[in-house]
Amino acid sequence: MKVPMKWLKEYVDIPMSAEEYASRMVMTGTAVEGVDKTGEQFDKVVVGKILECEAHPDSDHLHVCQVDVGGASPLQIVCGAPNARKGITVAVALEGAHLPGGKIKKGKIRGVESFGMLCSGPELDVPEGLYPHIGDAGIMELADDAPLGCDVKQVFGLGDDIIDFEILANRPDCLSVWGLARESAAVLDEHCVMPEIAVEENGKGTFDDYAKVIVEDSENCPRYCARIITNVKIGPSPMWMREYLYGAGVRPINNIVDITNFVMLETGHPMHAFDLSKVKDHTIVVRRARENETLTTLDGKTHALTPDMLVIADKENATGLAGIMGGEESEIVDDTASVLFECAAFERANNRITARTLGIRTEASGRFEKGVCPATAMEALQRACMLVNMLECGDVVPGAYDNYPNPAPQITVEAEVSRIARRVGVDIPGEAMEDILNRLNIETTLAGDVLTCEVPAWRQDIETDADISEEVLRMYGYDHIPSTLMNGVTMPGKRSAIQAFSDKVRRAMVGMGLFEVLNYSFISPRWLENLELPQDDVRLNAVRIRNPLGEDTSVMRTSLVPSMLNTLAGNLSRSIPEAKVFELSKTFSPTEAGQLPAEHHVLCVGMYGAKVDFYSAKRIVVWLAQIFGVEAQVRAGGDGYYHPGRKAIVSCGNADYACLGEIHPDIAEKFGIEKRVYVAEIDLDALMALEKPIYGVKPLPRFPAVTRDIALVVREDVGAGAMQDAIRKAAGKTLEDVKLFDIYRGEKLGEGVKSVAYSLTFRAPDRTLTDQEIAHAMDKVLSAVE
Amino acid sequence: MDKQLQEIRERILRELRETKSVQAIEQLRVQALGKKGELTGILRGMGKLPPEERPVMGQMVNKAREAIEQAIEERVTEFRRKEKELRLAAETLDVTLPVEERSQGAMHPMNIALEKMIDIFVGMGYEVVDGPEVEFDHFNFELLNLPKNHPARDAQDTFYVDDNIVLRTHTSPVQARVMTTRKPPIRVICPGRVYRADEADATHSPVFHQMEGLVIDENITMGDLKGTLDEFARQMFGEGISTRFRPSFFPFTEPSAEVDLTCANCRGKGCRMCKGTGWIEVLGAGMVNPKVLEMCGIDSKKYSGFAFGMGVERISILKYNIPNMRLLYENDLRFLTQYR
Repeated sequence: MKVPMKWLKEYVDIPMSAEEYASRMVMTGTAVEGVDKTGEQFDKVVVGKILECEAHPDSDHLHVCQVDVGGASPLQIVCGAPNARKGITVAVALEGAHLPGGKIKKGKIRGVESFGMLCSGPELDVPEGLYPHIGDAGIMELADDAPLGCDVKQVFGLGDDIIDFEILANRPDCLSVWGLARESAAVLDEHCVMPEIAVEENGKGTFDDYAKVIVEDSENCPRYCARIITNVKIGPSPMWMREYLYGAGVRPINNIVDITNFVMLETGHPMHAFDLSKVKDHTIVVRRARENETLTTLDGKTHALTPDMLVIADKENATGLAGIMGGEESEIVDDTASVLFECAAFERANNRITARTLGIRTEASGRFEKGVCPATAMEALQRACMLVNMLECGDVVPGAYDNYPNPAPQITVEAEVSRIARRVGVDIPGEAMEDILNRLNIETTLAGDVLTCEVPAWRQDIETDADISEEVLRMYGYDHIPSTLMNGVTMPGKRSAIQAFSDKVRRAMVGMGLFEVLNYSFISPRWLENLELPQDDVRLNAVRIRNPLGEDTSVMRTSLVPSMLNTLAGNLSRSIPEAKVFELSKTFSPTEAGQLPAEHHVLCVGMYGAKVDFYSAKRIVVWLAQIFGVEAQVRAGGDGYYHPGRKAIVSCGNADYACLGEIHPDIAEKFGIEKRVYVAEIDLDALMALEKPIYGVKPLPRFPAVTRDIALVVREDVGAGAMQDAIRKAAGKTLEDVKLFDIYRGEKLGEGVKSVAYSLTFRAPDRTLTDQEIAHAMDKVLSAVE
Repeated sequence: MDKQLQEIRERILRELRETKSVQAIEQLRVQALGKKGELTGILRGMGKLPPEERPVMGQMVNKAREAIEQAIEERVTEFRRKEKELRLAAETLDVTLPVEERSQGAMHPMNIALEKMIDIFVGMGYEVVDGPEVEFDHFNFELLNLPKNHPARDAQDTFYVDDNIVLRTHTSPVQARVMTTRKPPIRVICPGRVYRADEADATHSPVFHQMEGLVIDENITMGDLKGTLDEFARQMFGEGISTRFRPSFFPFTEPSAEVDLTCANCRGKGCRMCKGTGWIEVLGAGMVNPKVLEMCGIDSKKYSGFAFGMGVERISILKYNIPNMRLLYENDLRFLTQYR
């Protein structure tokens, strides 16, 4: 909320710079986005009067003017504006002035000396909203009574500080000049003087002679106040009012509309002005919308309404959305003669839901959904009528309509001084608390340890002693909070099991040369389709977000593979020659309706590059399994998005916990990948369940080992895994290790066969093995693999 | 005879000094001390001496022998040393040759920061607690004093799965779950992924991470909160970094504070990063609202507590001076490989 300092200063003394004031407000809980000065765009521009105006001897359009700027002698200024003439009061940029267009220097214009410049509105960048038509004729013509030599900023009402407050959700009362004045007075320990509300009822008749109001739903409209103004004379509002509105960021329109906006800004109460002649039967009904009712709002849009929405209606039709937007028909126009001022309070949740549903957000709806205090609505309406008196733009008809069936009760909170002090950790004396609360208009009396606090109606945020403690502490100063560490029970700090396990996995991945990536948890459903999973695959059933940012981020991941392929594609497109990355995240699968989805911890590895192949990916999975003492049985097989001959499933016992492979070129292509890329998926919940802790160690060998090598010629389709299993089984207990060390293919061997060489290590724990024992074992191996 | 001995000794020692190889020394040794060597010859010739002279002569021969043996040994050692020197000289490497690329990867900078944050709080006796990322509205909002249609919900634009299930907008629902299932004393941190319906830009991401903390016990004060966060600030960003509390509003806490840390870039002097203020807004905190304690079934007369929450990406961005939040989710290896 933008507030001109001058406006605030009408009600409270602020004896300091805007910056210091802003910082005091920030440190007591009223955030300030920034401080803007108006009129910063120029300097050294003063009021002057053209004493003489003659044609330039060497030009058909230039004038040579003698301008009185309040100095000893007039300045000679050459000016080309058509409206430059003797006797008018103008804005004069003196030598050395800075204007939006540059610096003013003295100089000769076609041989005639000139000591400044006469300015137009655009040359000074004077806000058009504030001074309509000011620059139309050429140079600006100021009021004749403007003091000569005076800074034009004063004439224009520029040069004020505009404070941009950021009001927190619990302080809707501060969305107003009065609210901020009260808050400022409390913060600065100054007095706040509010204007005395006195309305001169100079109209004829009474309210009932002009209009009728029927509130059908006082639950959603807890208060409705209205008054009538007759003999309305629509015209511009005075300079001071336009200046304030402009400073607060509201465009001045005409006196009646400006009054409603001015009162809204000053009191926080949104108001509405109806052209009474256009209100059918002069009757206003506040009711719920009917089934299938439609409404065209001020902005020309037609809305379909539902019965939970509150509308302002005439006897038949809805004419406005209560507290959100008025209708076109009863808008104030230049010949409006009678006005009905509405100042009401609407229930915040209902207002919010309606505004949300219809996608309308206005200044008024924003205020109502944050909470507008019903108790002060009449005061705001009176202020509007007082301004009508002041501006002499109409006659205030005696009497008002006021429907306020359930006035808010007085809230009284009791708080213990000792409890507040204990809670905030600062020893604030009870008297200091009492003083602070009274400054905040919370009428407080201290008796012993107990503060009895009467909360003013506009402070709807204060309900409990915790709220009181915050009020006290923020005024006393958060900088008084000491820096202590709690005493009490010592507690063991620890990570959760999955946290600790995940950390270990991350470290292992980093050690194996992989870089961690992060992807969004939601993806495009198209990405899942791209995997070409069978129609009944559970991964196609993803949790959908009802209001996603876009279709591309609309379903929760059931697999990390699509994001991984996208990550690899991204790095390929950046011409990065090699990538080895991992992501450790969750996948989500729906359960029953209305229940939370199941969340699974998954590790996904992705890689490509000249030195990367299927076995690079396999190595990562097997090594990871080894780190956790988990067996890694690898068998061919896996999802269809992998290369049919280069995919594997990894298991331990009956539990499959990982799969990996080269991505099928058709699938890769769908993600914009033309190279070979490899992916591994590891179910971390399963791996964690299989983890075997290190417990005890094998005794170190005391007898020597014997090594024997064998080379076996086998058919191409015989797997190394199967051969190794066969060797292990046949060699018996004394076989300590078996390692494949060479595969040979060549012409001598013939087509379709390979020679696979193994190195076998034998050892017994209790003796040196004899040659016969070894030979026997080797015989068994040979006969087994034949 | 002793003259002859003298001559042999001097000659051998002289020749020894002139030897050019270990082999030459060996030859000389055989020539002097071998079975057919010159000194051996003299010993043999001693039989011709009168018996009373023999011991004297024997002693002299032994002395000469010892002298020669010692000289040979020294000469050999010298040769060996020289040979080693030559070999070592020949083995000189170009130590400036580059090594191959390091094979180690790296964690994501967000997780590097998070791991450090968790370490700090685990060290202070906090337990790490997890919770679901897709969460009931009840835990995400209602138990935290944010009833439906409360305008403060606007600050957290929410992704909905259905009317009652949301993508959690903060990790506070984990705290709500802890409060409803455990008895004080409670001292936990809840790190994790959270979601807000914000378009990605330099300072926002629809997916990000938070770490929140919750302490509930008897006599917990706002001073304890400040002390805790001061300690965190020091450990995370270094000595001389402290906190500044500004009053704020969160429905979950009362009193509430926005917490600024001393700008680590200028150490509080004021710079471009902190817009000249010397402070950087980093986290939100406050005393747990007694209403929240009561809603979660904790006696607010007996217990008090504090809670704090911070964005992990924000900490990471500050710690590593990352210019744009988007970099954290683009997975560009040219960025990720900078975090050794």
